[in-house]
Amino acid sequence: MELQKFSYDNRITRNFAIATIVWGVVGLVAGLLIALQIFIPSMNFGLEFTTFGRTRPVHTNAVIFAFVGNAIFTAVYYSLQRLLKTRIYSDRLSKIHFWGWQSIIVAAAVTLLAGFTTGKEYAELEWPIDIAITVIWVIFGWNMFGTILQRRTSHIYVSIWFYIATWVTVAVLHIFNSLALPVSFLKSYTLYAGIQDALVQWWYGHNAVAFFLTTPFLGMMYYFVPKASGRPVYSYKLSIVHFWSLIFLYIWAGPHHLLYSSLPDWLQALGTTFSVMLIAPSWGGMINGLLTLRGAWDKVRKEPVLKMFVVGITAYGMSTFEGPMMSFKTVNAISHFTDWTIGHVHIGALGWNGLLTFGMIYWLIPRLYNTKLYSNKLANVHFWVATLGIVFYAVPLYIGGITQALMWKQFTPDGFLMYPNFLETVTQLIPMYTIRAFGGALYVSGFFILIYNIVKTIKVGSFVAEEEAQAPALHSESETKTQSESWHRFLERKPIRFLIFATIAILIGGIIEVIPTYLIKSNIPTISSVKPYTPLELQGRDIYVKEGCYNCHSQMIRPFRSETERYGEYSKSGEFVYDHPFQFGSKRTGPDLAREGVKTGKIYKPNSWHYNHFIDPQKMNEASIMPPYPWLAKKEIDIQSTPGKIRAMKMLGVPYPENYEHQAIADLKAQADSIAKDLAAAGIQTDSNREIIALIAYIQRLGVDISNKPEKK
Amino acid sequence: MHINEDEKLKGSNEVHQEVDDVTQIKYFGGHEFDGIKELDNPLPPWLKYLFYVTIVISFSYLVLVFIFKDDSIIQRKEYYKEMAAAKAETEVAVKEEAGKAAAQPLTQEQILAAGKTIFDKTCLVCHGRFGEGLVGPNFTDEYWIHGGRPEDLHKVIVEGVLDKGMISYKSQLNETQINNVIAYILSLQGTNPPNQKAAQGEKFVRE
Repeated sequence: MELQKFSYDNRITRNFAIATIVWGVVGLVAGLLIALQIFIPSMNFGLEFTTFGRTRPVHTNAVIFAFVGNAIFTAVYYSLQRLLKTRIYSDRLSKIHFWGWQSIIVAAAVTLLAGFTTGKEYAELEWPIDIAITVIWVIFGWNMFGTILQRRTSHIYVSIWFYIATWVTVAVLHIFNSLALPVSFLKSYTLYAGIQDALVQWWYGHNAVAFFLTTPFLGMMYYFVPKASGRPVYSYKLSIVHFWSLIFLYIWAGPHHLLYSSLPDWLQALGTTFSVMLIAPSWGGMINGLLTLRGAWDKVRKEPVLKMFVVGITAYGMSTFEGPMMSFKTVNAISHFTDWTIGHVHIGALGWNGLLTFGMIYWLIPRLYNTKLYSNKLANVHFWVATLGIVFYAVPLYIGGITQALMWKQFTPDGFLMYPNFLETVTQLIPMYTIRAFGGALYVSGFFILIYNIVKTIKVGSFVAEEEAQAPALHSESETKTQSESWHRFLERKPIRFLIFATIAILIGGIIEVIPTYLIKSNIPTISSVKPYTPLELQGRDIYVKEGCYNCHSQMIRPFRSETERYGEYSKSGEFVYDHPFQFGSKRTGPDLAREGVKTGKIYKPNSWHYNHFIDPQKMNEASIMPPYPWLAKKEIDIQSTPGKIRAMKMLGVPYPENYEHQAIADLKAQADSIAKDLAAAGIQTDSNREIIALIAYIQRLGVDISNKPEKK
Repeated sequence: MHINEDEKLKGSNEVHQEVDDVTQIKYFGGHEFDGIKELDNPLPPWLKYLFYVTIVISFSYLVLVFIFKDDSIIQRKEYYKEMAAAKAETEVAVKEEAGKAAAQPLTQEQILAAGKTIFDKTCLVCHGRFGEGLVGPNFTDEYWIHGGRPEDLHKVIVEGVLDKGMISYKSQLNETQINNVIAYILSLQGTNPPNQKAAQGEKFVRE
């Protein structure tokens, strides 16, 4: 058989690896910043761009899409070429992919800090960036499938199964969750409303974890663990079973983010059960990773790369066990809205994604530079610092989360909340937040050790841009076909059919869950007293979204005694039908706001309180950890955008009266004047055209509609 | 679902007789990818059974929800149950509490201490840490908007002054707590803390 000569492109791998490191710094430092902000309000620096509500999305987006994203591409571009014995399909597509992705990240960071956001977690980016992501993702897929189709191996290896599933699922999730109606260059309203939006968002959000943080990393694991250990993969059969069951089951589990919300019971039940069924498929990956190291444990003791893999894979096993546990409604009743969730995701992010990425970088860079790692000792130090960092990060959050949940739920014997002031349950957590920040700082400092080590390694080595290789041409089909081939072996020879099957597997769950909420009316019973927002409230809501209030405040009262006693009537799905986007939130660093505007309610505050509180929360309560928002009293409402926004809402089905857009500005001004007058009566002089007026109007509307009994009209 | 695949795969004659030196387990398929080989291990049985068990549990739960529409899973009904149970429980506790309080009344000092605890949790948000007034009126001067008698304060706490932002606290404070906090508020008269809010309402002369 004649050997063909070709070369692997290492430039693209190297570029993505360096981008991984650069964005890793940004993502981790942003994480440390918000960990400090949460207990030291002055760390918000009094600037609108650096307040928690905007820096937290920068942290999550930077870590997920910049750090982990670039790590995925590093792994794919390196392993794909070698597993398929071919050069990457197109150097030009690689370049467009690389620079396109980096530009998207820069655009994301800038727009998020400037307050351009859709208000949907992990999908905050506005529509032009969403379109750019779609284009670049298609280019990535084009390059990947181009490479697969020109391969010199008959079958595709398990890593590539995971890459294929990742590619198609992320495309589907991103496109459907991002569908929105633009109202201006950097502002849009999602097509979905309220509960439907929440369902689509968490179908996306959960599977961003599944198909961005998990499946590509399993692909990475299946390549780098055997390569670094020199051991065969433990079980090919396990690969097949856990791959298909994982991708089929994962897509159903999104509703577990909405347990005890006003999502219909049947959807919540699917969220719980499919999460439970995910334990074994997830562990299949862990087992196949760990048992691949059988016979290499002596190596693990010496090699920091393998140590990182072992702890990373173990962290994966831990968080994929914990996740289903948190999907039980009884556990979720405690864990949801607390720091438990934050601890949980960081076991995955710092352990699984972080350590696997670090291990890959330590293994890869010396090979790209044809040298040895500068210091194995420093890599060992990094391993220990990172591992300790994870422990110091997660443990206090578990303690804090459970403590706070129990305090929320504690009643006195005669039936009153033991801690009626929400703030009391927050100040209790400050020591835990301090330890968490210490853990985070450890983890960050470990990353700086990595940077030093890698820079030193690169300096010693010489970069191998083109790595020579040779392999025989692919046999003709008749030669590769064996007589009694299993169906899966057949599929591994047919990547396009593989793609189609994977697509079907991931579509089923989404279709069954999402479509009935649109078609079957009983899923979202309407409430006749719920009316569209006034123009001023709509503007205020946009400010609420812009400032990222949802990062700390929920708007979803669960049907628990401890919540209805604290906040008022539990939330109903019919209340949210005009909410584009929904703002349920996922974490209560501050209290729930769903009934904030109900005058006869339990948490009502006058306009003047809100005014003073926005300007300086610590003046109203010195223990408060909310950042001040003084610019709200200075910046003017963008009144001219009102008619366009009303028109957009009407297109989305919000029933404003005919031609209301012409009336909207006058109505807005009238309502703003009345709020300014009320503030003046309380001794606060302010112009009625300020953002703070709109935000107060929105806050005072929250929960009001449902408390208006229909018979009053 | 793909549970039985490993059964089918057993029939495949692709399995080569090559063996891993360390574990003595056969390689699968006689192929390798960039030097990576795969072993022909079956699924660990415990993992397989764990998978079956989770499937059985999950489907039983779904049957309960979809077919039997079990009350314990419908969250609205769960809530009613929780509220009814709490109501029954607190009624008993309130009676006991009242009995105890009658048998052993608190000293004035204890009353003020209890009142301060409530004030620090609830009232200071609007009335200031020392009662000096913030959004809400000053408690330390002699001027009262709704009257300065204990029964006036009681009325404001129970009913609220909704138009001005004072909510009703009847669902958050019991009768004893309300009386304790009133005693504490009235004890603030004349304490003259810094940053006092200007007087509001009528001067009230205590008899």
